[in-house]
Amino acid sequence: MKALTANRLSDGEVVFWKSGAWVERLTDAEVFVAEDSAVTAETSARAQPTLAIDPYLIDLVETEGFWTPVSYRERIRALGPSNHERHGKQADGGDAVEALRHAHGAARSSGRVNLIRRK
Amino acid sequence: MYRYDAVDRAVLADRAAEFRDQVRRRLSGELTEDQFKPLRLMNGLYLQLHAYMLRVAVPYGSLDPRQMRALADIARRFDRGYGHFTTRTNIQFNWIRLADAPEILDVLAEADLHAIQTSGNCIRNVTADPYAGAAADELEDPRVWCEAIRQWSSLHPEFSFLPRKFKIAVTASPHDRTAAKVHDIGLLLRRGRDGATGFEVIVGGGMGRTPHVGPTLKAFLPSERLFSYLEAVLRVYNRHGRRDNIYKARIKILVAALGAEAFGREVEAEWEKIGVAGDLPGSEIVRIRDAFTRPELADSPAPGDFEARRAAEPAFARFVRNNLKAHKLSGYTIVDVSLKGVGETPGDISADQMDVVADLAERFGQGEIRSTHEQNLVLPHIRLADVHTVWKALDAARLATPNINLISDIIACPGLDYCALANARAICVAQDIARRFEAPDRAEAIGELKIKISGCINACGHHHVGHIGILGVDKKGEEFYQLTLGGSGAEDASVGKMLGPALPIDRVTDAVEAIVDAYLQQRQDGERFLDTLRRTGDAPFREAVYADAH
Repeated sequence: MKALTANRLSDGEVVFWKSGAWVERLTDAEVFVAEDSAVTAETSARAQPTLAIDPYLIDLVETEGFWTPVSYRERIRALGPSNHERHGKQADGGDAVEALRHAHGAARSSGRVNLIRRK
Repeated sequence: MYRYDAVDRAVLADRAAEFRDQVRRRLSGELTEDQFKPLRLMNGLYLQLHAYMLRVAVPYGSLDPRQMRALADIARRFDRGYGHFTTRTNIQFNWIRLADAPEILDVLAEADLHAIQTSGNCIRNVTADPYAGAAADELEDPRVWCEAIRQWSSLHPEFSFLPRKFKIAVTASPHDRTAAKVHDIGLLLRRGRDGATGFEVIVGGGMGRTPHVGPTLKAFLPSERLFSYLEAVLRVYNRHGRRDNIYKARIKILVAALGAEAFGREVEAEWEKIGVAGDLPGSEIVRIRDAFTRPELADSPAPGDFEARRAAEPAFARFVRNNLKAHKLSGYTIVDVSLKGVGETPGDISADQMDVVADLAERFGQGEIRSTHEQNLVLPHIRLADVHTVWKALDAARLATPNINLISDIIACPGLDYCALANARAICVAQDIARRFEAPDRAEAIGELKIKISGCINACGHHHVGHIGILGVDKKGEEFYQLTLGGSGAEDASVGKMLGPALPIDRVTDAVEAIVDAYLQQRQDGERFLDTLRRTGDAPFREAVYADAH
């Protein structure tokens, strides 16, 4: 399973792709089963350069009934900084946030190369 | 503090207006991200994991109350109520909106601040002794030279696109509080036999993936020849530094590859060509020196009830022991303001705390505030008679943790909680260690022990020069931490040596405690951790950490 993520141009907010638009919560993101549809979405997202920066696909794993990123880097992006629990998306709390906090299955972020290039 | 003139202010206003137009063009799609990225980076605006981060230059770590309040204003209006002081003595804001960035530059410019050259392959903010102008052991105030370097290097056409970033440190004290020997250039102010001042010039130090303690290129450079010599060093580096490999592009790699002697010969040849035409006229140095406001310090003011308070209040006495340093004038002291409260993020400061520091500097501190490369603040000119009042105000604002140079005074980079380059988190490791050693009596019994943590090999957390260095690594996708022992960023600079295999995150604090326990067992009278380690070698410490592995 995969999701498509990027940072929003206007404020840098972490965003996820959903049916041609960007949403802020991973729980609202479109989950791609087929590689083809994921790549097609990535191509579409790259055609919107004034909305989001450098979209890339991330791998997901199921945790406590939610889709969570395999890599801890992507989990931190989906949650917010661990030193300020009131900052970032984690401030909302709820089961999806707890699932992200409990998720395992660490692996190098598939988006890491792009992240470095972008900085 | 240096006072900006009309030219300085016009440059900043122009720069903010230019960036406003660049942001507009990016948001409208006129500029692509690839076109825009170098423009935003030249204004200190990075894109991190969660948002844009704006790095604001704090020139040689000097701020006045008006500037600190401007930073508090930015934290409140444009960020989430806090900022983060870095190991380059700058301040970063972690939650910036792109559209707000030009207005923030306006706010900074009104306070004579900017974000120019806080990124990119140029000469970055100069590091100065945070006790400059106040330290009992300094030869003269090094900030005059720092300001001259700032003016010389700002928007320098020849040195704006170097092979890689370039960092200079200046100190005028025999006790190095700038980590000068691990800078691209370290300038140590000395007095010659004739009484004139000059610099020992160290070139090619650095951290990152290839740490080097820099060799001395010139034992004594007359101070009036500084700028032609800097130009010669930079020119040789610009000509021969590698541009094909980002990891081998810093000057330390060039100096190591050529050898200090051969590199020095190249510099001497270039220096001869430049001649005195490359030096600043003496009148310029005088102009810059005169542009600094001088603190109005009284002649030996009475200490008031300082000693009585110290005798009567143990908590105040502890603060005095750990956070006060000797001032050059009797009746005054230097006060270290700890940004390392237990459980807090090293270097973080809230907008309210910024206002408290600004108020104290204004009321009691001659309007001077310094930021340190160890991520703390300094009030350099406090009358002994006022220390108790200052301490009470700092304590009420949670800024009086009495831990300067102790085990919980930890440097930590933002790590994977914010940084797009990081492999692992650093902040939570620092917090966990600080909590473990929270008891102040225990921390004082351990004595000076500098822990420095980086979330990746770029070493923004200076782990190479930590007495205990901790490097976050990505080991098959998990956060692991590599321990090094024996580093120092002081005048006895050294690069720490790896202790053994990297440890998972939940074993790091236990490992640090094992190292501390081994030190306390091995320690002889008067030894700091570093002294004991240098005497015994690392075998007892390796045994303590990895005993379970046998």
